[in-house]
Order: sequence, then structure tokens, then C-alpha cells
Amino acid sequence: MNKTTRGLTRRTVLSGAAAVGLSRLAHARQPAEVKVGLIVPLSGIYTRPGQVMKMGAEMGIDHINKQGGIKALGGAKMKLVVIDCGDTTEKAKNAAQRMVAQETDLVAATGAYLSSFTLAVTEVTERAELPVLTLSYSDLLTERGFKYIFQTAAPASRQSELGLPTLMKLAESASGKRPKTVAMLMDNTATSIATAKALKEKLFAQEGLQLVVEEIWTPPLSDATPLIQKVRSARPDLLLFMPNAVSDAKLGLEKINEFGLGQGKIPTVSFSITIAEPDMLQSVSTEAVQGIMTIVANWGSKGQEELISELKSRYKEPWATQNVVSTYGDMWLMRDALEKAGKADRQAVAQAFRTMDAGPSKYYPGGQLKFDEKGRRVGAGVVIVQWQNGVPVTVYPPELAQAAPFWPKKS
Amino acid sequence: MEAFLQALAAGLLIGAVYGLMCVGLGLIFGVMRVINFAHGDFMMLGMYTAFYLFTAAGIQALFGNAVGPFVAILLAGPMLAIFGYFVHLTLISHVSGTRTASLEGEGHYAQLILTLGIALILQNGGLLIFGSVLASIRTPLSSSAWELALSQDISVFLNKARGIDAIVSLVIMTLLSLLITRSRIGKSLRAAADNPTAATYMGIDVDRAHRVAFALGSGITAIAGGLLATNYPFHPFVGLEYVIVMYAGVVLGGMGSIIGAFWGGMTIGLVQQMSTLILPTQLQNAAIFVVFLLIIFFRPQGFFGRMVERT
Repeated sequence: MNKTTRGLTRRTVLSGAAAVGLSRLAHARQPAEVKVGLIVPLSGIYTRPGQVMKMGAEMGIDHINKQGGIKALGGAKMKLVVIDCGDTTEKAKNAAQRMVAQETDLVAATGAYLSSFTLAVTEVTERAELPVLTLSYSDLLTERGFKYIFQTAAPASRQSELGLPTLMKLAESASGKRPKTVAMLMDNTATSIATAKALKEKLFAQEGLQLVVEEIWTPPLSDATPLIQKVRSARPDLLLFMPNAVSDAKLGLEKINEFGLGQGKIPTVSFSITIAEPDMLQSVSTEAVQGIMTIVANWGSKGQEELISELKSRYKEPWATQNVVSTYGDMWLMRDALEKAGKADRQAVAQAFRTMDAGPSKYYPGGQLKFDEKGRRVGAGVVIVQWQNGVPVTVYPPELAQAAPFWPKKS
Repeated sequence: MEAFLQALAAGLLIGAVYGLMCVGLGLIFGVMRVINFAHGDFMMLGMYTAFYLFTAAGIQALFGNAVGPFVAILLAGPMLAIFGYFVHLTLISHVSGTRTASLEGEGHYAQLILTLGIALILQNGGLLIFGSVLASIRTPLSSSAWELALSQDISVFLNKARGIDAIVSLVIMTLLSLLITRSRIGKSLRAAADNPTAATYMGIDVDRAHRVAFALGSGITAIAGGLLATNYPFHPFVGLEYVIVMYAGVVLGGMGSIIGAFWGGMTIGLVQQMSTLILPTQLQNAAIFVVFLLIIFFRPQGFFGRMVERT
């Protein structure tokens, strides 16, 4: 056996050992991943908003990771875990149970679009002590004494309080007279009920409005004739139309036009993002929606041009709805909490949300990045969006407005 | 009075489309005695077929936004009928017709599982292929109406799209009645429905009759779906919203009666719209089932059903 084929030499052993040592060192320095959850409907009739929320989350994660990830965790990258919560509260609850059982290393989550789903999901996540951010509106979400839910949007009752007086001022300044009578058409989802409660108990009286028609339907509507017939008979000065399904919105708006009440004859205002969803343009003409306003918790606005531009080019979305902007903002909020917590631990992250005081918010309108004892974002505001020439643009508050509002004139 | 007439008009117009929808299911159930859980999803396919024929196949450009939707809808019917024919040939025929003798529960268990499976495949396949964005066959007719001024104070609006939908439904229904009562195919369908064994002895190919019934039922429901889509935006899960209405209509009209299915659907449309005159709108769908239960209580065989089970 000669020297070259003898096998191990001292040099080989040393170089091998060095290689193993270096690789271990390299492995130790490799930043770990921090998992965050997105629990949204990705099947069934609410798939579309779920997919849009996923777009916002993906963009947020990409941007955070490109900027170096979580610095307090040695540059750990954020990883999105997407869970489909289906299209019923039962499915949402099951999905949440699956999420907490299978993804034990999640540090926080966001979801679940409809207030009804979020109510079900957070019943599970609360027991698992997993902090959940939500863009859902229902007041009930943060009235149950839960410690692990954080509502970034203004609750529904607050949205009415903030939005209605602004609308009344706008009507008075643009048309010269203040609306006196109002008709309210709404579905019976948790958000609409919370909004209506605040309007009826306090705000209509405060604004001097007399409720002349109140109709509630169970979605999906099959035909809007009975609803709009009642509006036609009563001829109110203002119509509050609150659908939470695009099909209901289409049926209502087309019937309004069919009965000759559209195009400003009865100014129409909504309280949900549904009426300004991109899907609306697939279903109704731009003339049918021109001038319609809606009061929402968040929308693409001034200062978010880059985000909106990326959304358009990457996902071919025509504009940024609340679902994109809020979910994008949620990722940054989770990052801030992880930086503050300094460890990838759900308890520590929840505590970081509770004690956070990070000043004005870039991705939510109004208020601070701070939560009160109920888990509501302090000072959360609203945005008024108006359809103008086929695009729903932010018209209020002025610092976020992309265009000036106008009050539909009776033609 | 105006509200009553308006609700009556809306109920009749929408009821005609519901009626056609129920006829498709009634035909399949009446002839084959198969409970087709996927029927709503065949309707969904009909909606998308009409939508793509209208928007992507040049019908919109050729016929415009007023006539084009109805041309596309009428073309979607035969296309879905062919699809239904092959679904029966390759899948349903294995658990229905002459093959049921060897199956447990006369094949009904297998039929339920199979049609439920087809429904799930169509829904989730639809989500993959068509996406989750709502689609709509857009026509200016859906937001315009014929105004009938009955007096100085009373005028009734008839939605133009719904009005044409109702006329198309009635024409299709009449043609189907003629086919069933006057043609040789119709005779074989009736024979296969009344007594499959005797029909077989008389030289009628019962399996073929079932296949024709399934194809016709699918095609008719596709047309009904297309008509509905002129007013109603749809998605791959839209079938779930209407399948209950279809079954209620078929049972109301009398299981096995095709004309009964039409009137069952019409009744549902009328109850749905007219119940809002006395009840809150959110009880609209509950009212359907209250009336349904009442009719089943007082006339268990439905409007046109027979008390005597086929021999």
C-alpha cells in the first residue's frame, strides 16, 4: 500500500474537522424563522377578500424580510402560515383549532375577515393564548374581556359616530340643506347590526335625522324589489345601504337605478367596503355607482402610493382596499411587537402589543399604534371613500384624501 | 296596492326562472329517481359557460349587450346538456338505471355519495379554473325597467332582464312539454319513469332514456342559471345558494312531476317576494319553508304529485 492510497492523513482529518466546525458555526448564525399566521377564507363565497388579505400579508412579509427581518432576533425572517377558515363560523372555528394544534410555534396571527368568523376564531386563539390582530368591525370582538385580541379598525359603532356627522356636514355644505329623513337598508351580519345600533340609539337623533324606512335582510338577497319599493314610497333625503356581499350590493344598486332613484336622486351612503370592492365593476356600470360614498375603517390613501403601485403591478388589483392595507399593516405591527418582545414567544408578543406605544400609524387611519385595555387601537379613525369616475377614492380625512368629495346632486 | 302589485310582478318574474331551474332537477328526479346533489353546480357551470360565450367567444361583439346575453345563454344549454350526457355515461350510469339491482338501497347510497363528490369536484375545480372573482353577465337591461302606469298614483316596474328571462323560461317550458308529450323521445322518457321494467320489455333502452333525461335536465338548468346570471353575480359556489330552492320546488310541485316542478319554483318566487309585504325581509327565506311545510302537511304529494307510488 503506497502513501497516496493509505487513507486518512493528519491533514485530511484536520481539514475535515475544520469543515465540520465551520459548517456548525454557519448553521448557528443562520437566522431562524418566525412564523405568523393568516387565517382567512380561501374557499367558499368569501374567498376573494381572503385572497386579497393574503396579498397584503405577502407584500408585508417580503418588505420586512428584505429590510433585514427581525433585528432583535438576529435578523430572523418572518414566515407566513396561511390557514383557510372557510365560509361558515363552524369551519372558521375548526380551522382555528387546527391552526393552534398544528402550528405550535406561531407567535401571532391576523384574520378572519367577517366579524362572525373572527368571533369564532378568537374563541379558540384566546384559549391558546395566541395574539390575533383583526380588521373586523364588530364591537363585540373586544367586549368579551379577551386578552389576546387586538382590533386595529375602529369598532362599528365608533365608525358611525365618526362618519355620519362628517357626511351631514358634507351634505349641508355641498347641497345647501341638511338631510332630514333617512332610509336604512342593511343585512343582518354582525357588523351591520353593530353599526345600526349606534345609529338608531344615538346618532340619528343627534344629527336630527328621522328614520323613515328600516329593512333588514339575510344575505344573499335574491331580489331587491321589496327593499327599494319601500324606499321609493318613502322618498327619504338620504339612503344608508349596508350590504356585505357584492351580489347584494349589485342587486340593490341596480334596483335603485331601475326605480329611477339613482344618479343622486337619493344620495346613497354605505358602511362597508363591499360597495367599493373591485368586484363591483364586474357587476355594475360605473354610472350606477358614481358618487356613492362609504365609511370604512381603512383604504388605500395618500402616502401609500408605492404600496398601491406594487399591488397593481404584482397582483393586477385596480386599487387597494382595506383588506390589503390593513393586513399589510398587521405584518409591520407584528414585526414591531417582535422587535419589542425580543423573543419569538406568543406571550411576549401579546405583552408587546399591550404595552406598545409607537406613535401615529402609517397603515391605519388616525390614532396611535397603541391598544387600550379592551384591545382596541387608541384613536382609530375612519376613511370616507367615494366612487368617482369608476374608482373609489379616499375623500376624507383631508390628510389622507386622494380627491375632494362631492355631494351627489339631484338630477 | 302599489307595493302588492310590485311584489306580485317581481315574484312572477323571478318565479319563472326558479321554475325552470326546478324543472331541470324535476326531470332528472322524475325519470331517474336520482337525487342529484351536484345539480346546483351544473347550474354554476351553465352560468360560467354563458358568461365566457358572451364575453370571450365574441357573442358580445356580434350581438351587443342586450341580445348577446340571451344568445350566449341559449347556446350554453346544449353545451351543458352534452356535458351532462357524458357525466351520466361515465359516472352516474354506474349507480343508476338497470345497474341498481346489484347495489345496496337500490343504488341510492352510492348515488348520494357520487353526486356529492361531483359537486365538490365542480365547486373546487371551478374555484381553480374560474377564480374567486365574482362574474356577471352584464347587460343594461338588468338596471332598467318597463314602467306600467296603472293609474296616476300606481305604477309597476318590470325589470327588462327579468322580463325577458321569464319569457325565455316559459318558451323553454312549453318546448319541453311538447317534447315530453308529443315526441318518441318523450314517450321513452315517460315509459322509463313510469315503469322501467315494463319499458325494458317493450324494447325501450332505459339507460339511454336516463342519459337523455340527465342531459336535458342539465341543459335546462344551465339555461335557468344563465338567465339568473343576467341579474345575479355568481361564483363557483353559487350552486349551494340555489340547490335548496330547487329541491323545495320539486317537492312542492310533486316529486316526479315536471310541470309540478315549474309551479313549485313559481310558488317559491311568489312567496319569497310577497312575504315581504307582511313579514320582515329577513324572514323572506323562512317564509318559503313555512309555506313549504304547510303545503306538505295538507297535500303531502305536492301540487301535481300522485299518491300512488309507481309499480
